[in-house]
Amino acid sequence: MKLNLGPQHPSTHGVLRLILDVDGEKILACEPVIGYLHRGMEKMAEGMTYLQYLPTVDRVDYLSGFFNSFAYVTAVEKLLKITPPKKASIIRVLLMELNRIASHLLWLGTYLLDLGAVSPFFYTFRERELILNYFEKISGQRLMYNYFVFGGVRYELEEIDTIIPIVKAILEKLNDYEKLLTDNPIFLSRTKHLGILTREIALEYSITGPNLRASNSHLDFRSNTSEYKDFEFKIAKADEGDCFARYIVRLEEIRESSKIIYQAIDYLKREEIQKSPVNIDLKPMNLYVEPGEAFADVETPRGLTTCCIKADGTDKPYRVKWRTSSFYAVQLLPKLLIGHTISDVMAVYGSLDVMLPEVDR
Amino acid sequence: MIVKSLVALLEGLFTVFKHLFKKSVTLQYPDERPNLPATFRGRHELSGCIGCGVCQQVCPCHAIYIEKDGKNVTSYKIDLRKCMFCGNCQYYCPVSAIKLKQDFELATGDEKDLLKELIRDKKEDEVIK
Repeated sequence: MKLNLGPQHPSTHGVLRLILDVDGEKILACEPVIGYLHRGMEKMAEGMTYLQYLPTVDRVDYLSGFFNSFAYVTAVEKLLKITPPKKASIIRVLLMELNRIASHLLWLGTYLLDLGAVSPFFYTFRERELILNYFEKISGQRLMYNYFVFGGVRYELEEIDTIIPIVKAILEKLNDYEKLLTDNPIFLSRTKHLGILTREIALEYSITGPNLRASNSHLDFRSNTSEYKDFEFKIAKADEGDCFARYIVRLEEIRESSKIIYQAIDYLKREEIQKSPVNIDLKPMNLYVEPGEAFADVETPRGLTTCCIKADGTDKPYRVKWRTSSFYAVQLLPKLLIGHTISDVMAVYGSLDVMLPEVDR
Repeated sequence: MIVKSLVALLEGLFTVFKHLFKKSVTLQYPDERPNLPATFRGRHELSGCIGCGVCQQVCPCHAIYIEKDGKNVTSYKIDLRKCMFCGNCQYYCPVSAIKLKQDFELATGDEKDLLKELIRDKKEDEVIK
């Protein structure tokens, strides 16, 4: 029998249609249909100037806007052959890690909502609100920040001292979640030994991010970028590759992110960094970019996002290419779902942390 | 094994139960007003525009219409139906003429309210005085 799941299904976090081939409860085949959220982000860039395109890149993945901005801004900076001041790159790292925590908290809440647990959803959203309120304070909006500019960040970072209490509160609450979930027999039986992703399949399908690190791999693109060079952190990792391992990895990543945030605040409080400007004063009427190609990558909460720009000497990019990791995670579904029951579809799909706007762009 | 599961379940239930006695964090919106930061990007305000047109160039949605008579700016309109409140106009303005303010309640029954003239008449200013 063919079963149509979605596109308007509450647990698809967007609009994804899954055509399932079922025999009773068992899934024989699965075909994901994507494209319902296609906004033409790449084509749109060709009709806009570099400055005009900057606010729209936050919409590629609206849960981690800073990461998309970062990829685009670094690629253009490479084309312009400028480097942001040290202070700006530390602020970028600090904000991106806060954003990673916010994104993982939202994943945790909605994933458990998919599994039928309602209260963690309220708790994680309450903690996420602390971070979003801080982002609103510095950039003006809760999700579409538009805070990074070519050559730095827009404004001075305000109220740095309020970050530490926020992070401490979240780490405290994280223990609450673990009490609620990690040993919970219902949660364990719904996630353990389910949707097992082996390392070979993950590498074959170009899976990156926490999904790959839950499958016994060390690959983290943060460790070899110049921005993260001064920061010490462990790479969260698990061996099993099932849904529970992905949950463990994401919780561990929140803890590691908090360590990076503490270090970044220490750096920002140093005198020589406090005095330096926050951006290269680059306020042109129009930004003309010399011909060439540039490429920038960043490790987002969902994996590797890259932005590749080809410039042709005008004020508009000739071509912008986005590589987003959720797109690859969706392609995994036919592989992972076969043999499972219908009730497990959302448990497996949710654990991959697929963001549909990022899939379709 | 069963005992361990039972303990974990009860521990979880207790964690949820504790929240009954905590203060609610919900903002009762129309009664309570949100505390918006100074950087918030809401409805635009204009004062001292020189009509250079930078905001038109950096606007991603082409939402800004400027009419000029020689060097004088006679009309400055922002189409709020198109505007995405990115704040580019505010950031790139060379004389800081345009500012995005805290007013976020833009819902209206009349479409004309969304395409308003931002330059005020001198007569209007006198009336306010």
